[in-house]
Amino acid sequence: MAQRKTSPLPGFRLTLGYTLLYLSLIVLLPLAATFLKTATLTWDQFWTTVTAPRVLASYRLTFGTSLLAAMVNLVFGLLVAWVLVRYNFFGKKIVDALVDLPFALPTAVAGIALTAIYAPNGWLGKPLAALGIKAAFTPLGIFIALTFIGLPFVVRTVQPVLEDLDAEVEEAAASLGATRFQTFRYVIIPMLLPSLLTGFSLSFARALGEYGSVVFIAGNQPMKTEITALLIITKLDQYNYAEATAIAVVMLVFSFVMLLTVNLLQWWGSRFQQPH
Amino acid sequence: MSVEVRNITKTFGAFTALNNVSLNVESGELIALLGPSGSGKTTLLRIIAGLEFADPGTAQVLFHGEDVTNLPASQRRAGFAFQHYALFRHLTVFENIAFGLRVRPRATRPSEESIRQRVTELLKLIQLDPLANRFPSQLSGGQRQRVALARALAVEPKVLLLDEPFGALDAKVRKQLRRWLRKLHDDIHITSIFVTHDQEEALEVADRVVVMNEGGIVQIGPPHEVYDRPANAFVFNFLGNVNLFQGRMDDGLMKIGDTELHVAENLGTSVSDATVYFRPHDVKVSTEPVGQESIAALIRHINLAGPVVRIDLERADTGSRFEVELNREQWQGIDRRVGDRVFVDLQRVRVFPTDPKAPVEDFSI
Amino acid sequence: MERPGGHRRPTAEPPWVRRLLIGVALVFLAIFLWVPLAAVFAQAFAKGAKAYFDSFNDPVTFAAVKLTLIAAGIAVPLNLVFGVAAAWAISKFNFPGKSLLITLIDLPFSVSPVIAGLIYVLLFGAQGLLGPWLIDHDIRIIFAVPGIVLATTFVTFPFVARELIPLMQAQGRSEEEAALSLGASGWQTFWRVTVPNIKWGLLYGIILCNARAMGEFGAVSVVSGHIRGETNTIPLHIEILYSENVVAAFAVATLLTLLALVTLCLKTWVEWRAAAESQTAEAE
Repeated sequence: MAQRKTSPLPGFRLTLGYTLLYLSLIVLLPLAATFLKTATLTWDQFWTTVTAPRVLASYRLTFGTSLLAAMVNLVFGLLVAWVLVRYNFFGKKIVDALVDLPFALPTAVAGIALTAIYAPNGWLGKPLAALGIKAAFTPLGIFIALTFIGLPFVVRTVQPVLEDLDAEVEEAAASLGATRFQTFRYVIIPMLLPSLLTGFSLSFARALGEYGSVVFIAGNQPMKTEITALLIITKLDQYNYAEATAIAVVMLVFSFVMLLTVNLLQWWGSRFQQPH
Repeated sequence: MSVEVRNITKTFGAFTALNNVSLNVESGELIALLGPSGSGKTTLLRIIAGLEFADPGTAQVLFHGEDVTNLPASQRRAGFAFQHYALFRHLTVFENIAFGLRVRPRATRPSEESIRQRVTELLKLIQLDPLANRFPSQLSGGQRQRVALARALAVEPKVLLLDEPFGALDAKVRKQLRRWLRKLHDDIHITSIFVTHDQEEALEVADRVVVMNEGGIVQIGPPHEVYDRPANAFVFNFLGNVNLFQGRMDDGLMKIGDTELHVAENLGTSVSDATVYFRPHDVKVSTEPVGQESIAALIRHINLAGPVVRIDLERADTGSRFEVELNREQWQGIDRRVGDRVFVDLQRVRVFPTDPKAPVEDFSI
Repeated sequence: MERPGGHRRPTAEPPWVRRLLIGVALVFLAIFLWVPLAAVFAQAFAKGAKAYFDSFNDPVTFAAVKLTLIAAGIAVPLNLVFGVAAAWAISKFNFPGKSLLITLIDLPFSVSPVIAGLIYVLLFGAQGLLGPWLIDHDIRIIFAVPGIVLATTFVTFPFVARELIPLMQAQGRSEEEAALSLGASGWQTFWRVTVPNIKWGLLYGIILCNARAMGEFGAVSVVSGHIRGETNTIPLHIEILYSENVVAAFAVATLLTLLALVTLCLKTWVEWRAAAESQTAEAE
């Protein structure tokens, strides 16, 4: 590689070479193989597979519950970040540390725990059942699981931005006559917007691909409570590799779109940064 | 619009930021709050703005006689310019200036047309009309501070408060901008208070200077008065370069080393420790002793760069070091080298009792 | 300090608003985070301590623990070495395509774990691209330990790198350049200058990487084949137990839950140490 030397430090070729090799072997080549495998299907076969009623139902369920969970996380993630940054209360450090629980707790454990709670005889399932609401084995259960796993994303993207927010800017708004709510609405929210949307997108993207925490609480009935990730596994168990791959490609494309969105949001967010 | 504060005390935990401070600012005045960091000047400014509240008690803040002590910042109509500008980085220059008008209650909010007119006026005033659609991140420091001022002025404040307005700018822009502020104030005559730790800035711009130290006001007066007649050693020290000679005072006679000075101050008949303060330029240097009060000194260093000649001297009797400044003509009449002996006559001195707590400024290295 | 008469700083909300916000946030966190956490232990001890401890007395459980340790024991060091190499190349040098490379390193985070497993099946499975060749040479990857290690490596791929890249970018390269100018070799510079500067970020990355490696479910589930005592990791073992013996499933789940809690403690401690060190550095 004819790389112009830009630094006196050693190890550029070694580390970059290793990075590219390892990245290719573990991630890029296997992913490319997935697309190759899809190529064994004709366009018609591919289209029929990815638009079959059962598959479409799984998209609707997955997208719908993921979107709803991400929106709930957007609102409550902001609230939790706000409370953790701005207020003091007993046990705040522990509350803060536990926000990362969904990152650290294996999804299968989260899945069985949530199922136990929201099952008709569970701690929260019972009162809900008394109200005539069935949580476990319904889309509501899927939504609960997806909210659980997506929760830290919004909190952890908004929190540092909120911490760095200059108190002077809020004081400036107040001295210009803005009420506290106006300051929040027209000053704080716009400044948090890039991080809020990034957190939302991360939470949404994670929910779309989630499997472990959902599979226990979902009920997994075709057309009703079967998410797309589960459908892929079902096809695999039937040794129907081509169809599993076709559905996976649709999900992958959407994942890449989400990844692009997050990158664009971060670029957009850095637009206003003042060089200090 | 006059501003008056009465009996302001402010404590942060065990630290007393302000200790029973009262101050009167006349309508249309430009006042500088001058002091070292920790003197309480910024806290006082923030209390006037309603960004901070004094300890409860007899504290009062009055705008033109009207008690605003309990009004929140958003209802005081005190324009505030922050040290780091605090511009809204997601809004353009235009929208930053318009902010205060747009957040008014519907009943008093100006029409879109009059907002546009007002902002355009202000953009002309700060000479930034071509940059109306830029974002703050695309402006220089000086431009940002002007936008911050225009934003504060947009709401037609009763009083303009500026916290270290030029503190974050480089020396050259700072000088330009403080002349601009003086001119702006002469044009619009809004009662203004600005905080600074830079004595040169305070002395150049303000109508009156309020010198603060350790949570209290030490002296108030026009710039020439505080400079020429400092109330105490702190003010003398803070307002410019100064030399100190420690000595003993006995009934109007100040004994420093081998020399006895007749001074105007009389600190009482009893013998007491005292310190002579004088500015480096308030001296006469000659090659021969002029009289009884001439102090013999050796030249240790000569700095010829710049408009004045700076000479480091060492007293022949005590060995203590001090600095004098001469203009070039004066120096040409002397023209000695390092190591040579000269004689120094102090022209204007002030004597203050030696404060045992104050750190002695020692120029001998 | 609250006083009557509007004595409130302009950056603070009224006390009732503050209490309401704290209350709502805590109720939300309780329902979605704390209750599930408590439920794991409540279910595990539902039939008493004896039933709980009996659950572990099972060779299949031991096999699952062993396999999980093997998978994490291989995946974590691999991604550690990769993470350090990638962060070094990206933070200390300029080259075209750098931001694309950073995006590609993050890629495994945006791929569903199920698809992460699937891509290896498509590559190494019996019907996969390399399947026939592997069968000819009698090498088993899918439905065997290598597949589990690969899937685990994929899903934990970015953890160390993404912790280190921003950290090392922020630190720049002046300290390394100073070390080299003083005559240190490349390795000496790395071990004596770079590593001490990044140790907390490195540790943090390893902790998160390990937690995910031991807890991965979806990806491993696809490549494992669920052979009892052979290709079941702890999470897969929990899934099987859950349909047979709920108490045992939750008992084994407490192991992973404790691992998660230890991870969070370590993470908090690392953050605390890093903050304390940067504060001392600033004070000096």
